[in-house]
Amino acid sequence: MAEIRIKNLHKEFGVGADKVVALEDVNLEITGHSFVSIVGPSGCGKSTLLNILTGIETPTNGTVEITSDGHVAAPGYVFQAARLLPWRTVTDNLMFVQDDRSDDTKERCQRYLEMVQLGDKGDKFPGELSGGMQQRVGIARAFSIEPDVLFMDEPFSHLDAITARALRRELHHMWDETKKMVVFVTHDVGEAVELSNRILVFAKGGRLEDDIQIDLPFPRDPADDEVAVAKAHVLRKFEELDLLAS
Amino acid sequence: MTVTDTRPSAGTGSQPVPSPAHRLIGLPAKIAKSPNFARILFPIALFAVWELSLIAVEEIWPFAVDVLPTPSEVGGFMWDEFITDTLARKNLYETFFISLRRLLSGFLIAMVLGTALGLAMGLSRATNAFCHDWTMAILAMPALAWALFNSIIFGFDDRGPILTVILAGIPFVIVNVREGVRNTPRELFDMARSFKVPQSKVIRHVLVPSLMPFMFAAARYCFSIGWKGLVIAEVFGGQDGAGWTIKFWYDAHRAHGVVGYAAFFVIFAILFERLVFEPISRRAFRWRPQISTEVVEEAFGEHHEHYGEEETARH
Ligand SMILES: Nc1ncnc2c1ncn2[C@@H]1O[C@H](COP(=O)(O)OP(=O)(O)OP(=O)(O)O)[C@@H](O)[C@H]1O
Ligand SMILES: [Mg+2]
Repeated sequence: MAEIRIKNLHKEFGVGADKVVALEDVNLEITGHSFVSIVGPSGCGKSTLLNILTGIETPTNGTVEITSDGHVAAPGYVFQAARLLPWRTVTDNLMFVQDDRSDDTKERCQRYLEMVQLGDKGDKFPGELSGGMQQRVGIARAFSIEPDVLFMDEPFSHLDAITARALRRELHHMWDETKKMVVFVTHDVGEAVELSNRILVFAKGGRLEDDIQIDLPFPRDPADDEVAVAKAHVLRKFEELDLLAS
Repeated sequence: MTVTDTRPSAGTGSQPVPSPAHRLIGLPAKIAKSPNFARILFPIALFAVWELSLIAVEEIWPFAVDVLPTPSEVGGFMWDEFITDTLARKNLYETFFISLRRLLSGFLIAMVLGTALGLAMGLSRATNAFCHDWTMAILAMPALAWALFNSIIFGFDDRGPILTVILAGIPFVIVNVREGVRNTPRELFDMARSFKVPQSKVIRHVLVPSLMPFMFAAARYCFSIGWKGLVIAEVFGGQDGAGWTIKFWYDAHRAHGVVGYAAFFVIFAILFERLVFEPISRRAFRWRPQISTEVVEEAFGEHHEHYGEEETARH
């Protein structure tokens, strides 16, 4: 089972007049079979946090630790933009992040392409796909390594409502089945409430403002009273933060 | 009025179907619009202007005929060369083989050295600061100057022309590769890092492909600039080769030989572009969305047709 421990995390970019504080003194522990959503206004450090957790950026101060049963956890990352290799086919993009080229691995890649409804697009180059399709290839790539922790940065924001709903269901299913951890960034409070059992609210300046548990049973119907109440609660937190900021 | 406005009228069939006679009248217009016709028209026009201007010059100054070659003289010369019937010491194929060997030697050395230097300059500020001014100086030097220096230093053997190719071509390789390194896609390296992809795989699948367009531009420049440098070097410091041979015809007062050989240079360069660079580039950049000039031409062609329809509709 995966564990994330963040202690006194501080991250700034640039120096002097250009200095930007992206994250300020974040302390956080995520354990077990969690589905954690991170919400907050644009520029509050959500992507930066995922970049630090996946080892792309290093903290200015503080420590992060991601382990799974005592060893370093393997992360899967769905980026805010798809980040595919334009000169490799869809299938080769998935193979690029695999440890081996065995038939099992190839089959697994194909299975995840089918999950995002792109089973017949394996031989295409990313430039031949629509933006939403490219985003789905990015999702299949992260799933295909069957990571200990799955990090997702607004993965469904470029998709049409129907595809997004199908993939949300797929994601929830995978999370439920594999008992893996998911850390999910979104702008959409409804989406966060529908999927997660914990919501972290970040404010401008990269402060962790609120940590909300949602212990409602799945699947959650947005029309359901309790779900609607939870959503209203999170939205109210948002408004309070907005008032504080202005 | 926009183009889209005319589309429905084209689809509803409100216009009369053109009769066969109409189509026949339309045929020359269609031929005139085809790109191949335009391509053929250019040399025809060129030869016509050439021949006519010779006639005009002859009217004014009769002796010029002996000096200025006519298209048929040049054509005859080129044909004789083509079937290896020549007064020069080596025939066309031997000559171009000698030059090609020098060109490729210089080209390969320039590509290897230039790539190494370009990588170093792209990766390290200090190296860039150290080499930048020298690169610009080599770039600014005309190939003629290199050709002269090298013939002074090396006399009449292969080394002078080859070094001239290297010096003429290498700045383009250095500058292109350096820009390529500076433009490597950071977000893809980050992606690879987050998925813990091993370094060797990252180099092969991310770094090298991202450099390819720049390497290709480098190769094309290096080849064509190197070729021009080589010809000049052979004029001054060669005993054979394409440059030496054009000088031979010049010394022999055969203007048609000079013009004919110059035409061979052009044909050689075009053949190389068509038979070597284009196929390789098509293979290497298969992944790029197809935006060719043909597509642009078609788009314009459609606009013209729509304007035509609009006019006939108004009549
Ligand atoms: N590489 C970088 N260099 C300099 N500043 C950066 C860099 N990356 C992020 N920042 C800054 O850090 C802050 C947080 O950025 P981040 O991308 O984490 O925001 P975000 O919460 O993901 O926003 P969004 O919802 O718009 O994606 C922003 O002010 C941004 O300008
Ligand atoms: Mg972001």
